[in-house]
Amino acid sequence: MSASVDLADFLPAYLAEAEELLGTGHRQLLAMEVSLRRGVAHPRAVRELFRAVHTLKGLSAMVDVEPIVDIAHWMETCLRNADRAGGRLPQASVEPLMEGLREIEQRVRQLAAGKSAAPVPAGLLARLEALEVAGAAGGGGVATGGAAALALEEALASRLSPAEREQLTTGVTGARRAVRLDFIPGADRAASGTTINTVRERVASLGETVKVLPLSGPTVGGGSLTFVLLVLTEASDAELQEAAGGPPASVRPLVVPATAEAPAPGLEAPGVLEEEEPEESRRSGGTLRVEVSRLDEALERLAALVVNRSRLSRAVAALTAAGAPTRELNAILQENARQLRDMRTAILRLRMVRVGDVLERLPLLVRGLRRSTGKAVRLALDVGDEELDKAVADRLLPALVHLVRNAVDHALELPEARRALGKPDEGVVRVATHGRAGGLLDLTVSDDGRGVDAQAVAARARVPMPATPDALLELLCRPGFSTRDAANATSGRGMGMDIVRRIIVEQLGGELALETRPGAGTTFRLRVPLTITLLDALVFECAGLRYAVAVGSVEELIEVDAARLARPAGAGGLCLLERRGSAVPLVSLARLLGLAPGAAQDAMGAKALLVRQRGELVAFGVDRLVGQQEIVLRPLEDPLVRVPGVVGATDLGDGQPTLVLDLAALGLARGGKPSRREASAKAERYLS
Amino acid sequence: MAEVLVVDDSKVMRDMVVACLRPYPGLTFTHASSGLEAIERLSLQPYDLLVLDLNMPDIGGIEVVEFVRGQDRLRELPIIIVTTRGDEASRARALAAGASRFMTKPFTPDAILAEARGLLEGGRA
Repeated sequence: MSASVDLADFLPAYLAEAEELLGTGHRQLLAMEVSLRRGVAHPRAVRELFRAVHTLKGLSAMVDVEPIVDIAHWMETCLRNADRAGGRLPQASVEPLMEGLREIEQRVRQLAAGKSAAPVPAGLLARLEALEVAGAAGGGGVATGGAAALALEEALASRLSPAEREQLTTGVTGARRAVRLDFIPGADRAASGTTINTVRERVASLGETVKVLPLSGPTVGGGSLTFVLLVLTEASDAELQEAAGGPPASVRPLVVPATAEAPAPGLEAPGVLEEEEPEESRRSGGTLRVEVSRLDEALERLAALVVNRSRLSRAVAALTAAGAPTRELNAILQENARQLRDMRTAILRLRMVRVGDVLERLPLLVRGLRRSTGKAVRLALDVGDEELDKAVADRLLPALVHLVRNAVDHALELPEARRALGKPDEGVVRVATHGRAGGLLDLTVSDDGRGVDAQAVAARARVPMPATPDALLELLCRPGFSTRDAANATSGRGMGMDIVRRIIVEQLGGELALETRPGAGTTFRLRVPLTITLLDALVFECAGLRYAVAVGSVEELIEVDAARLARPAGAGGLCLLERRGSAVPLVSLARLLGLAPGAAQDAMGAKALLVRQRGELVAFGVDRLVGQQEIVLRPLEDPLVRVPGVVGATDLGDGQPTLVLDLAALGLARGGKPSRREASAKAERYLS
Repeated sequence: MAEVLVVDDSKVMRDMVVACLRPYPGLTFTHASSGLEAIERLSLQPYDLLVLDLNMPDIGGIEVVEFVRGQDRLRELPIIIVTTRGDEASRARALAAGASRFMTKPFTPDAILAEARGLLEGGRA
């Protein structure tokens, strides 16, 4: 079992997340300080700060940054005491905690600059340690008495911390109520985008969620799980129910108003204090930080508009066919299509990041490698102002990290060896961009090291000497292939090359090429698309093969109960499935795809995906649902291989191409009634 | 083919766990960024291995373990708990709740891979 993974590779990602956690930490600590000055507890800020610090500690341990682990550990202990005391932090704790965050931040910056993290200043740990003692001694007095009772069964109430109870009972003021919202998750709801995550997001815009408790047990609709959200809100029951996807979600009051007393003096509603400045409103230098998920949401909304537009255009076409005067309407429709395209471009542009920003962590990596390998190496970044979609950048970076690592670890010689060869002591690894063409970005990663020894590679793979650079690259990219020589290298050329190729070629649909000259160096040439399409997909199995469909296209996911299938005589073997009292045609996807020619009628599959085909529901029988995941959709660009019903391919991580289907289009195309109108509607759905 | 659900609110941590387990052939991974999301996914589809962080924003790893062990269907699901120094008390509670293995940060890729291998191949009866 070879350690083919080096957690040090995660240092750049670690630094990025550490910065975010520090940002959260600072905000929560400031919120706590404001509360303290007003004599109020702020349990949520204490918990959030605790979590940020705890996560930092764990991550820092993984990438071996001991000083941060130590500081975080003592801060965490102090915060744990405050949480046990109902979110009351002693005033004296604020300054040392502030100092702790600053010291961690300083060390993160040191690491980002390629230095090692400085040891912990002795005084700080002593101060934090002193807090722990003081906190443990005085942490008892939790003011929970007197507050209104919670209308909550004991099984749930017992799962609330004192701080959470206090927050719920004291948080009720004026129009603000404490309610429980019951959300019942399900595969069909997940398929239509209603999951606990989206429900939480929607509820967050209506009020403050104090706690979410999972509750096992039979539910309406045959499930076995209910999420109980305990919320402080001014929103109506209807709004809350809507946020949880409508019935069977339900809303009940939580704090019985009759017993509600006037809040104790000095205890204000925590809600007043929790109006934190939203992060995205903090502008710096004319740029705005926005969570990627918000951009994705905008894109989803746009996709809905596009689908709606295609319905509109079908309706107009029908009017035209019926002889109605639709010239004006058609002109508006055309204008509308152009506007939608422009808007899509504008949103996609928001997702673009500069390549230079993506690569800014590489110098840090190289400095680390210089220390660990003892090689003299310089990183030359020769990067223009090209931009890439964030999703491409996130995938590209690990591939570049692999290539740079390999170059330093393996390709570059030690200084003495270089001198003997007449090369300068210091090796150079160069990462350069070479502009864009045809929607692709050209990049190279090159070194002036020893080059790839094709003969050695061939000998190791036990194959004849590769005749071309492509054949050599092919060998290097064989999964698990390594030229690693235990005597003299920490990692080998070839280590992870299969991963590099999988990212660049299979995932991103790009190209990877190799040029190498023995003794002079190696250049990897990468071409990656500037943008990719991400799709939330349902993955399933059919006749032993995996397929994916867009989650949004599936109306519902159901079990096929063979006993309840009907096969009306004279329907040409058509099978009907009963769903909520109406009959839905069931089509075997395996047969549709020609995977099970002449299969028995019973081979209808165990599950069915319900899809709307020209407004009518059709069930596609499949064998097994594999799961839901985000995939990179690679459209089938070549018009010659374009197949109706197949929108593209993806790599699910197993290195095998998986087809992404459009079931509605597939059903129409194979159902014997392919219509030109439908084809153009489909083309519109994918706009551009 | 085996399905692994990796639950951690830190994306870097999830990515690290996936990278560590990647050398094991035939695994596919699903991420969940919170305990609630994990419970939802577990209630909707089967998994072969659960890798779980203890400390998460909404509900913690212990509650997820309790939920899993409370479901007939999931009683045998192997669970690897990922903890951090200082979590000792929670670790005892997670063990009582029915966790299968513990990994304390920092752990090596080989260590978690070996645990996963043992759980996936060891027969779950």
